Amino acid sequence: MSVKLNVLLVTLLVGCALSVVNARYQARHLLIELERLQQHARQLDIDWDQLQLDQSRLAKNERIEQISRTDLDMAPLSPARTQYLTEGGQ
Amino acid sequence: MTRGTAKNSNARVAASKGVAFSKSPVLAVRLPDWRSRLVLFVLFASFAALAVRAVWLQGVSNQFLQKQGKSRYERTLELPATRGRILDRNGAVLATSLPVRAIWGIPEDVLQAPPEKLRELARLLEMPEADLRKKLDSDRTFVYLKRQVEMPIVDQILKLKIDGIDTRKEYKRFYPQGEVVTHLVGFTNVEDKGQDGMELQHQKTLMGVAGSRRVIKDRLGHIAEDLGMFREPHQGRDLTLSVDSKLQYIAFTSIKNAVEKFNAKAGAAVVLDVQTGEVLALANYPTYNPNDRSKLTGEQLRNRVITDTFEPGSTIKPLTVALGLETGRVTPDTVFDNNPGYMMVTGRRIRDFHNYGVQTVSGIIQKSSNLGVVKIAQMIPQQEMWELYTKVGYGQAPRFGFPGAAAGRVRPYKTWKPVEYANMAFGHGLSVSLLQMARSYMIFARNGDIIPLSFVKVDEDPVGQQVISAKTAAQVRTMLESVVGPGGTASRAQVAGYRIGGKTGTAEKIVNGRYSRTNNIGYFAGIGPMSKPRFVIAVMVDDPTGPLRTGGFVAAPTAADLFSNALRAANVPPDSSITDIIIPEVPLEESM
Repeated sequence: MSVKLNVLLVTLLVGCALSVVNARYQARHLLIELERLQQHARQLDIDWDQLQLDQSRLAKNERIEQISRTDLDMAPLSPARTQYLTEGGQ
Repeated sequence: MTRGTAKNSNARVAASKGVAFSKSPVLAVRLPDWRSRLVLFVLFASFAALAVRAVWLQGVSNQFLQKQGKSRYERTLELPATRGRILDRNGAVLATSLPVRAIWGIPEDVLQAPPEKLRELARLLEMPEADLRKKLDSDRTFVYLKRQVEMPIVDQILKLKIDGIDTRKEYKRFYPQGEVVTHLVGFTNVEDKGQDGMELQHQKTLMGVAGSRRVIKDRLGHIAEDLGMFREPHQGRDLTLSVDSKLQYIAFTSIKNAVEKFNAKAGAAVVLDVQTGEVLALANYPTYNPNDRSKLTGEQLRNRVITDTFEPGSTIKPLTVALGLETGRVTPDTVFDNNPGYMMVTGRRIRDFHNYGVQTVSGIIQKSSNLGVVKIAQMIPQQEMWELYTKVGYGQAPRFGFPGAAAGRVRPYKTWKPVEYANMAFGHGLSVSLLQMARSYMIFARNGDIIPLSFVKVDEDPVGQQVISAKTAAQVRTMLESVVGPGGTASRAQVAGYRIGGKTGTAEKIVNGRYSRTNNIGYFAGIGPMSKPRFVIAVMVDDPTGPLRTGGFVAAPTAADLFSNALRAANVPPDSSITDIIIPEVPLEESM
């Protein structure tokens, strides 16, 4: 009886030890993966900032005015040739 | 040993006599017991010493070795904090920090590179090759070749694979809107620290706090275990300003055009939101590009709206009149006889540009009569006038939250002499900044209350402090609208489609301690649209040249331009059906 119990306990012990080894291994791998993804997230943040900067640069009012005046031959609207539509048609 | 020698000689004798070797009496000699015990004791003592040492190192004095061990596998990683962005009220980026690299080199190694590679390096660094060689001609082992190099160029430089060239990570601040909004946003230095404007004012929250974490790294440099934060990093917080990029651009172009058209030294404009007290635009010209570090000096850095003060001139007259109306001393229809166009105050002559004859209070504002406001002021005790100035913020330390904001100057009322008080009624003998002037017009634009101004986006409407009654504010508004009409001094401020009200002002500049006849500043402070005020706009044109230099000629049309574009850009429905503006051939000149 006590021999059987001992065998069972030893088996359990070895099993636990092996699962600890496995868990540590998994944890380490997941950590490396996490680090990699965090790095990726940081890079995406930087890219996002860069894109917003580009957007702000390209949407600069000065640039839009320049392009609309010279390339697109547009002129600023004047009140004299603006028709305002008001609710109720007044 | 003498005994031993004797025995040996005996043994040899014995052996030769056939005695067996094992029976040799020499071998029968026994060592004394204490010797083995000593050895045993020494051995045990040594083991005991080792055991004690082991216990000592493991259990008692274990910090030193643990520290040594940690330093061999633990690493502290710096977690830099990125400086927060500055955004406009609609979320457009006004300033942002992006990682760049500083390029540095070890001169000795770099100089051994082939000349064509060095030439290529110089080209990529945008410096003459001679300059690069001069930088490398040094005894030091570490030389910065160029700082804040953007990533695409860094990649090209690293591709050259020059020995001794390396990079260090750093951040660079980018200002996509450049010179248009720079007086408001400010700029940072090469260490990413705020130097001016909002960058300086909000340095603490923008900057953030760098942190660090401890990790265990394996042989390949992978992080094997996270030991947690050593110091929690705090990223710099984004700052959303009250400024509207579109209105800012409109204000900037208006003021730029005005400075060029009137050949002025400088110009400035500010647009305030009547409802929230937010600064929607603040433009200065001449200006500078904050992205170009080499030009961050001199006159162009001055923010004339906030840090410069000047005599408000005629723009202060509505305040004098408002106080007269508020205290019931006059009504809009009270009549003053201003003949013969000048008057004497304690021996000093005060005059109008023209003799306007008999005028109502409304007419005094419309024609900007000095005599009229002086006569109204003379009905009001000095203390009451001083209290009004103080309530609207003149001479008070500004709480705008802007570095270097000027307080202006209003002397204590007890020191005012009668003639000085008379001069103050039309804006001489005290000084304010353009922003203070714009803010004081808030009491007319709103219903007589004044609210704090803000450079940062405001979420809920601030609570105002009542200065004058709503009735007085409405009466002054009507007068201000008449100023912009065909018979007023600011007829050039008329805007097609919108009803505008405002007041012009002209101050002679002080040159060599005296009022100059040829150098002056023209202002306009106005409200629009009159049906439901949205904006308070103040414009200043400094030192215009040409025959017509008063506020009515230089600042009023600039403000009109600004109003019409700003109101349209803000989708404010027009409140006037007039689309053709009638400006008299010779507009009325105001008194100085």
